[in-house]
Amino acid sequence: MSNGDTRGSLLRWLDERYELSPLLAYMRHKEVPVGAHPMVWYYLGGATLFFFLVQVATGVLLLMYYQPGEATSYESIRYIATKVPFGWLVRAIHCWSAHLMIVSLVIHMFSTMLLKAYRPPRELTWLTGFALFGIALGFGFSGYLLPWNELSFFATSVGTDSVKSVPVIGHWLLLVMRGGEDVTIHTLYRFFAAHVVILPVACFALVGVHLLFIQRQGMAPPLHGASGRKGMPFFPNFALRDLLLWLVCLTGLASLAVLLPYGPSLPGMEWELGAKADPLAPAYPGIKPEWYFLWIYQLLKEFPPHLFGLEGPELCLLVVGLLMGFWAMIPWLDRSARRNRPSPAFTDVGFAAIYFLTFLTLKAADLGVAVVPTTPEETAVVAKVCAAVTIALAAGATMLRVGLYDHDWFVLSTAALVHVALHGLLGWDYLEAGAACAAAAALIVAAGALRRSSSSSPGASS
Amino acid sequence: MSQSLGETRHTRRRFLDLLLGLGAGGWLATVFYPVLRYLTPLPSAGPGGPVKLNPEQVTALAKQSFVIVPALGKRILVFQDAAQKLRALDARCTHEGCTVKFVPGESVIWCACHNGRFDLDGRVISGPPPRPLAQYLAHQDAEGGVVVTPQQA
Repeated sequence: MSNGDTRGSLLRWLDERYELSPLLAYMRHKEVPVGAHPMVWYYLGGATLFFFLVQVATGVLLLMYYQPGEATSYESIRYIATKVPFGWLVRAIHCWSAHLMIVSLVIHMFSTMLLKAYRPPRELTWLTGFALFGIALGFGFSGYLLPWNELSFFATSVGTDSVKSVPVIGHWLLLVMRGGEDVTIHTLYRFFAAHVVILPVACFALVGVHLLFIQRQGMAPPLHGASGRKGMPFFPNFALRDLLLWLVCLTGLASLAVLLPYGPSLPGMEWELGAKADPLAPAYPGIKPEWYFLWIYQLLKEFPPHLFGLEGPELCLLVVGLLMGFWAMIPWLDRSARRNRPSPAFTDVGFAAIYFLTFLTLKAADLGVAVVPTTPEETAVVAKVCAAVTIALAAGATMLRVGLYDHDWFVLSTAALVHVALHGLLGWDYLEAGAACAAAAALIVAAGALRRSSSSSPGASS
Repeated sequence: MSQSLGETRHTRRRFLDLLLGLGAGGWLATVFYPVLRYLTPLPSAGPGGPVKLNPEQVTALAKQSFVIVPALGKRILVFQDAAQKLRALDARCTHEGCTVKFVPGESVIWCACHNGRFDLDGRVISGPPPRPLAQYLAHQDAEGGVVVTPQQA
């Protein structure tokens, strides 16, 4: 009997029992839109899923040796990294894959946002994706503490302390997260449970829902309607391309893990074990969270001790909460995209967000000085260099936007850049400059809306 | 007639829905209340009275001018100022909870996490901390040992 016959009879046998034909017919008909924008944006969700699966596999391997405990957490990780055959490789892949998962997730989220793939009927796909982003950050935050080394200890102290600013239940939340008033080994037990059980279960469930939505609705077609070209069949054409990308990702991951097993030594992206955590040692300069939390870390620094009757961290948390809430609600707020029309203002929101995050991240990384800045003069040098770099990157992005995509609405991204310039180049206070730019942008947007309504010309401005 | 019957039915239905809702709410509360209580840690039973530093802590204090000790259920920074006077402050920065240190050369208490500075009485000099550090009493006892007392100075 030939291979084809065997496969055919196996398929028939399964089909008789499980009625697979409708499923296969569905897979054959599913198409991926082609033509309006580069296909690369359709692969990033799959790449994120790949890195997550690598995390599960390497995480299970690490669990075979890792022992949570005051006298064992740090020691068992050191044992894995120095004694266990290929332990260093498993740990390096776990760390690299964690960072690359967040990288691909962030690019996936921004590409979805800029291409308006969130518009109806895909609002819940956006929301589940945003929740998955939160879970990914939770994975990073909880996993960071598990080696129980000095850096992770202080980063966790700062990270958990900020929840005390949540109104009413803040202190209770802090106690539940830490297992006490301070970060102790009880905090590690709780983070361990979250990292290896709670978050993976939540992640699998949400990924399932996210993928189910995508399978039911298909991938978002371009905003401007059909490109006139035929779509690419999902199976096997797109699925095989996806698989090829996974192979490339695996090769890249393995190369990085072998060549740089302790990370690229960038701020917030290194995982040297360092010294064991000592809860009674003072914090030392240069303590930073991982790179994807650097912007919040920097924003916390920019708030004064008290403002508008609130403590700085409380107000900072409120601002971050409002920004996150806005980001989650974009599918409902972007009314032009809801009507399948271009929404240049929301494209510009995406770029403004990128510039805002870039500047804060670079500043937190102390770009421009060799040592950790402690004096106002050193901090000013960092702000100046970071502002110059952000503005240069934004100039490049704006040229691409104008040249390739015909964008012509830049109010919010300009406000974000003026904010950076006023603070970094002219020495304004970060929050005062931000408030001035936000007010100016709001005035310009309101004036534009008024002008449009008075001239009663229908449609968006561009 | 039929309309009033419909209204009665409607009212009955609403009443039953209300009962069902209350029952479901009560059931959820009985499930989650123990879980939430289970997750809430018990208050730490640290010593409430004066705490005497052990020899290792006294040596560390003499060597680096300060030491951080677990006392009174907190982390307490004990240090010796330029006039050799013993002082004690809450070691937890009021900004984001990092552990502060005494910088003898500058006579300041410094938090490395967000560059917060306090004077030797715990008052904020610069940086983002919103409140001063709590002060405690530290003194040398008759045997030359160092004692930290819970009474706030």
